[in-house]
Amino acid sequence: MSDTAGNGAVLVVGGGISGLTAALEAAEVGKDVYLIDKNPYFGGRVAQLNQYFPKLCPPTCGLEINFKRIKDNRGIRTYTMTTVKSVSGGPGNFQVELETAPRYINSNCTACGDCAAACTDEIDDPFNFGMRKIKAAYLPHEMAFPRRYVLDKEACSAECLEAVKAACKYDAVDTEMQSKTFTLNVSAIIWSTGWNPYDAEKIENLKFNSSPAIITNMMMERLAADNGPTAGKILRPGDDKEPESFAFVQCAGSRDENHMEHCSYICCMATFKQISYIREQYPEAKIYVFYIDLRTPGKYESFREKFTADENTTFIKGKVADIVAEGDGGVTVIAEDTLTANKVQQKVDMCVLATGMKPAMAQGQELGLTIDGNGFIVSEPEKGMISAGCAKAAVDVYTSGQSSTAAALKAIQIGR
Amino acid sequence: MNVQPDFNFIKAMKEAGGDTLKQCYQCATCSVACPLSKDGDPFPRREMILAQWGMKEKLLADPNVFLCHHCGDCSDACPRGAKPGDVLGAIRAYAYQHYGWPSGLAKLCSSAKNLPMLIGIPAVTIFVLWLISGGMHIPAGEKFAHVGYTHFFGHWDFRLLSKNVLFIDIIMLSAVGIAAFSLYKAISSMWKKMEENLGIGEVLYRPSVSLFIKDFLWPSLKEIVSHNRFRECTVNVDRVRGHLPLMLAFIGLFIVTIYSAFTQDVIGIFIPSMHGPISMWNPIKLLANVSAVAMIVGIGILWMNRTKMEAEGKASNTFYDWFLIWMIAGVGVTGLAAELLRLVGIPSLGYVVYYLHLVSVMMLFLYLPYTKFAHIVFRTFAMAFERFRESAYVKDPLND
Repeated sequence: MSDTAGNGAVLVVGGGISGLTAALEAAEVGKDVYLIDKNPYFGGRVAQLNQYFPKLCPPTCGLEINFKRIKDNRGIRTYTMTTVKSVSGGPGNFQVELETAPRYINSNCTACGDCAAACTDEIDDPFNFGMRKIKAAYLPHEMAFPRRYVLDKEACSAECLEAVKAACKYDAVDTEMQSKTFTLNVSAIIWSTGWNPYDAEKIENLKFNSSPAIITNMMMERLAADNGPTAGKILRPGDDKEPESFAFVQCAGSRDENHMEHCSYICCMATFKQISYIREQYPEAKIYVFYIDLRTPGKYESFREKFTADENTTFIKGKVADIVAEGDGGVTVIAEDTLTANKVQQKVDMCVLATGMKPAMAQGQELGLTIDGNGFIVSEPEKGMISAGCAKAAVDVYTSGQSSTAAALKAIQIGR
Repeated sequence: MNVQPDFNFIKAMKEAGGDTLKQCYQCATCSVACPLSKDGDPFPRREMILAQWGMKEKLLADPNVFLCHHCGDCSDACPRGAKPGDVLGAIRAYAYQHYGWPSGLAKLCSSAKNLPMLIGIPAVTIFVLWLISGGMHIPAGEKFAHVGYTHFFGHWDFRLLSKNVLFIDIIMLSAVGIAAFSLYKAISSMWKKMEENLGIGEVLYRPSVSLFIKDFLWPSLKEIVSHNRFRECTVNVDRVRGHLPLMLAFIGLFIVTIYSAFTQDVIGIFIPSMHGPISMWNPIKLLANVSAVAMIVGIGILWMNRTKMEAEGKASNTFYDWFLIWMIAGVGVTGLAAELLRLVGIPSLGYVVYYLHLVSVMMLFLYLPYTKFAHIVFRTFAMAFERFRESAYVKDPLND
C-alpha cells in the first residue's frame, strides 16, 4: 500500500461475503482498501453456513478464493476485531477513528494449537452459537482467516493464562495487550456490516428457552456442517437423539411489527435447503413446515418444487403461535391450518425457528448514517457512505455480491 | 366460490373500529393466541377474512363472533396490528344494528352524531310525561325526607296504583317491552341463520322450551356468572375486575327492581303504605346500595382500563364501546347521587338528578338491543348455540 493512502482510499466495514467482494472489487482496480471486521476472522455469516445458495456450495468454496485474492493483493490492509468509533469529514476526506480490541495473541502465532492444549478454561463456542464448549484459547474455526488463535482473557484464571503463555513456543501470547485506537483517512466508506439472527428469546410465544429441541435455522446450519459441534450429524441438542420429525417455524420474528416488520427474504429458501440436509441423513423423517406465504423468488421456484413433492414433508399454511415443551424432549407446535380451518397441534422431535435477519449495525445514526425503518443502512453515495449486502437490505449471497460490486463502483468514483 | 363483497359492510367495519381489518395477512397467530378459540373451529382468523371479503351473511350467522370476549390477546400477538379483537367488536356492533328492530332506532345507536337524539328521546319523553302528570312541584324538606322521589310524577290518593308507579311503569315497561320484543326477533333470526350455517339441513328434533333452558341456556348462564371464559384472557385480565362487580351489580339491582316492583306495584295496590322509599336497614335496600357502589366501582375500572388500552394503542376509540360505558356510568352516578341528595335533604337538586337518572335508565333499557349492552343477550344465546351444535339434536351420535 502506498504512502499516499487516503487519497481515494476506501474503508470497508465488515468482512463477510459482501465486504470481501467490495474490498476486492475496489482494490483490483487499483484503489487502496482497508477492510475491517469486528470478529477475529473474515467470512461473516457465510462462513457459518453448511451450504449456501445459489449452488449449495460449502462456504470454503467461495470464501477461500476471496481470501487468496486478498492475500495476493498489496492494496488491501485487513484489521480483525476492529470497529468504527467515529467518522468525521466528508466524501473524499473522511477521518475514521477505529479501535482494535486485544486479541492477546500476536502475529507470531503459527496456529500450532499448543496454547489450546494447555488452556484449562472453557467458553461457549461463539462460532457454533454456544452448542459446544471450546478452550478459551482457540482458533475461531478450521478455515479461519487470518489463521491465528484468539485468547479470551476474561474467561481465564491466572494459572490458566500462565499455562497458555508457557505453552507457546513462538512468544505469541501477550496477556498485557491493550485495545488500540487509530485514525484512517479515506475517501469513501462501504458499510457491509451484515446481519445477526433475530434473538429468538424475544419471540415470547415460541418459548425458545423452554426446550433444547427448539433451535434456530443458523444453529441448524452448524449442526449440519462437518466442522460443527456434531461433526455434521443432525442430532437434537441436549440428548443427541436422532430426530424422527422436524417442524420448521417460518417468519419467526420477521414480517411482524412486534419484532421486525420486514420479510427476511432468505428464510423460506433456508428452510428448503435445510430440508435437503435432513433428507440426506434421514430419508424417512417427517417434516412439517408452517408458513404464512412461501417466498421463493425467481429461479428458486424450482428448488422449492423439489421439496413440495416430498411425501414426508407437509406444508401447513398457518403461523406457529405457541410451542409447548414435552416430557420426552420433543415439543408440540400449535398453529391454525388456514386451509382446513382446524387447529394443528403437531408433536415433533425437533423444531427449527426460521429466525430472520436483524441488521447488525446498531449505532448507525451516531456514525452519521441514514437508517431506514427496519434498521437497514440507506446507501448515500453522494455523502460517501455506501451500504452493501445485508446491511442494505435482507438479501441472499448472490444479491449481496451484486450490491457489493455496485457499492465498490460507487466508492472508487469518490475523491479521485 | 363466487364472492360478492359488500362494500357498505366493509365501510361499516371501518366506522365501528375495525379500520385495521385490511392489515390482516391471514397468518392465524390470533387463532392460537385466543384462549377461547376451539381446535375444530378456531377464530378469529376466519372471521377476519370473511370481513375483508365483506361476507356479512356468514358473519351474522357465526357464533364465534359473539363468543369472543374481546380480551385483546389476539390483537396483542398480531404481527400486523390488524387488531382482530377490535374487528370482532365491530362485527358485533354491525350485527346488533342488523338484527335490531325497529331498524331506525337501531341505526340511531350506531353513531355519536346521533347522541343529541339518543339522549333527547328519553329526556323529552320523561319531561312531557312529567308535564302531563302535573306533579310539577318539588316537596319541602320534611316531606322530601318522607316520600323521597315517589311523588316525582305527583300523587293521588287513588288506592289501587300510586300515580308515580303508574308513570314509571308507562315509561320503563314500554322501553323494556320494545327492547324485549326486538331481542326476541333478533335472537330468533340469529338462531335460524346459525342453524342454516351449520349446513346440516333441517334439525329433525327440537328441544322443548324447558329442555332448551335446562340443557343449553342455564349452563351458559352459570358459565357467564362464574366469568370462567373471561378469566382465560391473559393480556387484559384486569377487565374481569371491572366486569365481574358490574355484572353482579346488575343482578343485584335486578333483584331489587323485582322486589320493589312487587311491593309497590302489586302489594302496594292493597297496602298503600308500601309506597315510598325503602328503609335503609331493609336487606333489599342494603343490596341496592351495595350494588350501586359495585356498579360505580366496576364501570370505573372498565372506564380506566379502556382509557389505558386506547392510550397504549391496544384498542380503538369507538362510540360503540364508550356509549355503553357512559350510559352505565350515568345510571350509577345519578342513582347514587339522587339517593344521597335525598338523605341529606336537598330536594331541588335531587329532583334534577333523579330526572337524569330516569333518563339514563330509560336509555339503557330502550337501547339495549342495539348497543354493546346487547352482548348480554347475544353472547348468552351464542354460548347456548355452541352447546346446542355439539348436542345430539345436531350431531347424530350414531353417525359420528
